[in-house]
Amino acid sequence: MEKLIEILEDLNPEVDYNTCTNLIDGHYLDSLAILSLVAEIEEEFDVVIPTVEIIPSNFNSAQSLWTLIEKLKEED
Amino acid sequence: MQYCSLVYLAAFLPITLLIYALTNKKKRWLVLLIASYIFFLSLSGKLIVYLLFSTLSIHHFGLWLDRLNKDRDKEVELNKENKKEIKELYKKKMGRVVFLAVLIHIGLLVCLKYTGFFGENINNLLEILNFDFRFKIPKILIPIGISFYTLQGLSYIFDVYKGKIDADFNLGRLALFMSFFPCIMEGPICRYSDTATKLYEGEDLTYKNLAFGAQRILWGLFKKMIIADRLNPFIEKIFCEYNSLDGGVILLGAIFYTIQLYADFSGTIDVVIGSSELFGISLPENFRQPFFSKNISDFWTRWHITLGTWFRDYIFYPVSLSKPMKKMTLNLRKILGNHFGPLVAGSVALLCVWLSNGLWHGAAWTFVFFGIYHFVLIVLGNIFTPLIINICKRWHITRTSKPYVFMQIIKTSILVVFGELFFRATTLSSGFAMFKKIFTDFSFDSLKMGTIFKLGCDRADFTIILLALVIIFMVGLLKEKGFNVRELVTKQNIFVRWTLYYLLIIAIVIFGAYGFGYAPVDPIYANF
Repeated sequence: MEKLIEILEDLNPEVDYNTCTNLIDGHYLDSLAILSLVAEIEEEFDVVIPTVEIIPSNFNSAQSLWTLIEKLKEED
Repeated sequence: MQYCSLVYLAAFLPITLLIYALTNKKKRWLVLLIASYIFFLSLSGKLIVYLLFSTLSIHHFGLWLDRLNKDRDKEVELNKENKKEIKELYKKKMGRVVFLAVLIHIGLLVCLKYTGFFGENINNLLEILNFDFRFKIPKILIPIGISFYTLQGLSYIFDVYKGKIDADFNLGRLALFMSFFPCIMEGPICRYSDTATKLYEGEDLTYKNLAFGAQRILWGLFKKMIIADRLNPFIEKIFCEYNSLDGGVILLGAIFYTIQLYADFSGTIDVVIGSSELFGISLPENFRQPFFSKNISDFWTRWHITLGTWFRDYIFYPVSLSKPMKKMTLNLRKILGNHFGPLVAGSVALLCVWLSNGLWHGAAWTFVFFGIYHFVLIVLGNIFTPLIINICKRWHITRTSKPYVFMQIIKTSILVVFGELFFRATTLSSGFAMFKKIFTDFSFDSLKMGTIFKLGCDRADFTIILLALVIIFMVGLLKEKGFNVRELVTKQNIFVRWTLYYLLIIAIVIFGAYGFGYAPVDPIYANF
């Protein structure tokens, strides 16, 4: 989780990722940031995020992203 | 039979609704399927074979993918140590199946829709190169809605492949999803996971659904008949006779065409969503106050939403997140930083999206230009965003302040109007000629002398159109501010409610452009 927060802070340091639950809906992450975020997560955690998983409910908070990463790791 | 025609609204829709209500809940899907095929037959006749072929083919590919999914799971169960290799092997196998499905369905769409376009351009090239040979271009009849049901069918295949949904063994349910009559002609482009089950469930008719559905249909007719149809002769004249008109009139023509397109498309979508709502089936929204957009990217998340999300999910992300693109994003991010790092991958994907978007709308260079125009605007927007943010910071301009947002909305609307000018132009060269005249031959003479009122719409027409636009703007503004206008109307007492409904009906009857002397605009998006 810490590593994930680090990646997110690197993308946009002006957000409190422990409390923010509308990263997509609140436009904190735009489509270009999502491209970087997916690439960084896949590189760091050795998972592949299928495009069908790129939905606001998975990307709106650090917690939901972490849940997605754990799910993908488990499936692997 | 069009959605805003009397045959549809006064006969087809009520009869279908009545039979649906009288039929056993379990068989209601069949009523909708038969009605959908009758509707399709009335529009495209024997071309229904294309729809039948696509339905059977999509169903078959879905089952094929499902079988591969099950085979993979069995093999993984038996050989857990090689789980990763087995998954990789089946991913490739399934990828080939998906590729074949895309090849067949996009191939069919391209053959039917673009043979003439490509043939003509190849013949032009042969002429330039002084070859005597010319291709004979066959005249091909295109079934209505093929661009819409092909995208729906392919989204089903992609979603099965990605494991988002299970393949549907029920051919009837899939056939209904592919052909549901309210959305076969102009969308919205539905996803299987959102609508297929609802269509099959055979919801009971309720007073709320009937009232909301009728209300939505009336609102759509208001937009379509009072604005889009009334503007038709004016738009026709401007775009055909632009040579003899000054730039001021041409600019007005482009603005009113944008308004006509919005009133026609969003009005028809209101009728479509309302029709579906009568049966208790909610379809996805296709518009969200597009003329309140702050930039072109924002505009395309508010205009023809279901097409935009289709391209985002099935072209933008797969291209920009393909292996080589991801690698490039990681490397470029280290060199160019957070904003410009992913820009190259994003732009390559956007180019694919906008070429597809342009060509999806039709086989003509005007549409290709329309796509490229939006691609360039979005990429430029992305490139200059950091600079604009810096300038605003330096000059202490709050980017969320009302004047700034207002300027953004005006800028976006101007860019949209110019894009739509090329979209409507008969040829690309006439589009450029009109665009040039706006700047080189601009004058208000036709307004001052009143000659503008002799171009198909007189003063009374423009007064009616402007009044209707004020009403639509007010409703849009309320929605933009977060009010649910339909709920607001529902909360009123019966007297206020029915007064509003009657006013709407009377407005359509009195001010709607129909009958002798009027040629309603053909549903513009049905041609795509």
